[in-house]
Amino acid sequence: MTTEIIQALEKIVGTAHVLTSKDDTHEYGQDWSKLFTPDALAIVRPGTIDEVQLIVKYANEHKIALVPSGGRTGLSGGACATNGELVLSLDRLNKISKVNKVDQTVVCEAGVITEQLQNTAEDNGLYYPVDFASTGSSQIGGNIATNAGGIKVIRWGMTRDWILGLKVVTANGDLLNLNQGLIKNATGYDLRHLFIGSEGTLGIIVEATIKLTRPPKDLTVMVLGLSELSDVYPVMETFQQQLNLTAFEFFSDKALNKVLSHHDLPKPFDSPAEYYVLIEFENESEQTSETAFSAFEQVLENGHVVDGVISQSETQAQQLWALRERISESISHEIPYKNDISVTPSNVASFLESINTIVKEKYPEFEIIWFGHIGDGNLHLNILKPACLELDEFVAKCKSVNPNIFETIQQLGGSISAEHGVGLVKRDYLEYSRSHEEVLLMKQIKQVFDPNNIMNPGKLIAL
Amino acid sequence: MKILVAVKRVIDYNVKVRVKADNTGVETANVKMSMNPFCEIAVEEAVRLKEQGVASEIIVASIGPQQSQETLRTALALGADRAILVKTDEEVQPLAVSKILKELVNKESPDMVILGKQTIDGDNNQTGQMLSALLDWPQGTFASKVVVEDGKVNVTREIDGGLETVALQLPAVVTTDLRLNEPRFASLPNIMKAKKKTLDETTPDELGVDISPRVKTLKVESPPAREAGIKVESVDELVEKLKNEAKVI
Ligand SMILES: Cc1cc2nc3c(=O)[nH]c(=O)nc-3n(C[C@H](O)[C@H](O)[C@H](O)COP(=O)(O)OP(=O)(O)OC[C@H]3O[C@@H](n4cnc5c(N)ncnc54)[C@H](O)[C@@H]3O)c2cc1C
Repeated sequence: MTTEIIQALEKIVGTAHVLTSKDDTHEYGQDWSKLFTPDALAIVRPGTIDEVQLIVKYANEHKIALVPSGGRTGLSGGACATNGELVLSLDRLNKISKVNKVDQTVVCEAGVITEQLQNTAEDNGLYYPVDFASTGSSQIGGNIATNAGGIKVIRWGMTRDWILGLKVVTANGDLLNLNQGLIKNATGYDLRHLFIGSEGTLGIIVEATIKLTRPPKDLTVMVLGLSELSDVYPVMETFQQQLNLTAFEFFSDKALNKVLSHHDLPKPFDSPAEYYVLIEFENESEQTSETAFSAFEQVLENGHVVDGVISQSETQAQQLWALRERISESISHEIPYKNDISVTPSNVASFLESINTIVKEKYPEFEIIWFGHIGDGNLHLNILKPACLELDEFVAKCKSVNPNIFETIQQLGGSISAEHGVGLVKRDYLEYSRSHEEVLLMKQIKQVFDPNNIMNPGKLIAL
Repeated sequence: MKILVAVKRVIDYNVKVRVKADNTGVETANVKMSMNPFCEIAVEEAVRLKEQGVASEIIVASIGPQQSQETLRTALALGADRAILVKTDEEVQPLAVSKILKELVNKESPDMVILGKQTIDGDNNQTGQMLSALLDWPQGTFASKVVVEDGKVNVTREIDGGLETVALQLPAVVTTDLRLNEPRFASLPNIMKAKKKTLDETTPDELGVDISPRVKTLKVESPPAREAGIKVESVDELVEKLKNEAKVI
């Protein structure tokens, strides 16, 4: 059977674009979560939308499960092939159109690397604001499939806010052209939005029309040191009310030390601090800087911060950002169990307090790395695997605490996955954030689009 | 010991510089400006000498438009004690800069002047050397290490193929290279304090320096665009192309 499938696929895309070696199936079978053992049937790399349609039609007819695969930087196991699925990689679908300067849009195929989209916008005097540490590898298709967020959400929103049109291939091989780049289109259900955040379970995203915007002026970065977790919220409140922020990030001293031990970066200041916030704003005029300084004076006088620095050049802004952005990669070898959780910004104070209590009580033996896009109410809680513990045992221990964390989030009306998606990691916890009725409707929607359940089966929802 | 540090406000290192449509210079409207990176290193070195107890006062000076005040404020926040802005909207070439600095030296009598080895806008690498000649002071250029002892300063210089250490009798001129130190960030509490530090203003005229340019710029052009790379199919093809097209082997 396998040989037959391979031959059929080779007929569609050519022999060079069907990969079956152990290295390839290992590489393409997993994402950045690193919690699952890869087991992929093969990898197929179509070069055109037509080829995607032919592959999907064939898979549907033969009931072959597909895993759509982007940059595989996902953190929830969404792009993992662990059950002998066929990996459909969008790598070769990477054409990017000329920028339409009147509409301020650009058309990207799904496999365009996020950073390439950012650079194209910049080369045309425009800006694509969705940004995070993995944009050098993630693909626009993967960003759409997970509705990626990142470090600029507080000002510019999520990937969803930048998608004006989508082309998708559904399970029977049909190509849908959704919303065609329109700003206004009041013609009923907007299917485009169903695909954003669908994690490959409804169809394959093959192309997107992306909105661009005017670039920000002189982004200036401050890093402030805090001695208590309870200082985060008052600092956030003060700056949020006085400045038009483009980022409000947070990380612990432990997180900073991980970064400093892996990278040759300068420490922001020598005063000891337990936590840090990184604040970014557009420094439009001298008045903006004055406002920022006076906000700083206020939190300093109230004792919420111990020290702080401000970037004096783009190089320094980048160095300060690196302290926050390199955390994930600096801890990845310690196989962190990641919780990507959120509440509304106004609930951040009680959120941090409750999570801290749970963590102290339930994980006394583990090293915990705190960071996150806290201005959006989003916390990344990373529990590091001690070298002496087997992976299974470690994951089991982490999972045993999940209900405590998720119940707290449920009580606060928050989400158990803020931006990393559900995939395999959070699937069984979905009902902490979505009602039973909602999940039922989601399953019915999935069945309408994908009656044979070939699109990333087992991810997001269990049928 | 008193140190004079010269700093310049330039287009930020990370900005993609664009040539003006009429080829008279580069676009500076709406472009981010910052302290020249080599000047940041000069300020940092002076501050470290003060922290070591070697220097007692740091005076920082900048020649340029009103906005150069911001650059001076940064230097004050980093640890300089007071600042002098020599205000002009004219283009000031290295010779004029060194003449102005010479006048400031005559007024302030520092024991050492620290400058960047060059600014990243003009890339001239002349000011420190010219100043040393005008003052008839010894010079230690491209410094990667500066040690002051017994009325002398030992400057380790980055030269072709290695390092050279020179001992200079003070007063002396030192210009900084990249590896001399890693500048600190400006701390917010220090920025607040820096607002109270003195920033004096003067002009080239008041100092009696004629800054009219000696070099005329005829035309400014972008470098030719780099051609895109190509992919070769095999090692043989690569070797063939290196031999016959690139002619490097
Ligand atoms: C260091 C680091 C930092 C990160 N920071 C952030 C962050 O700040 N914010 C954030 O939101 N995420 C973050 N992530 C997570 C991740 O980068 C994003 O989720 C990203 O959008 C995934 O894109 P990808 O192309 O790698 O997708 P993949 O991992 O390949 O896939 C993700 C999901 O999308 C599906 N998929 C991929 N392509 C398609 C397609 N064309 N059609 C249909 N389905 C598809 C896959 O099946 C899978 O379910 C981070 C990851 C890392 C490693």
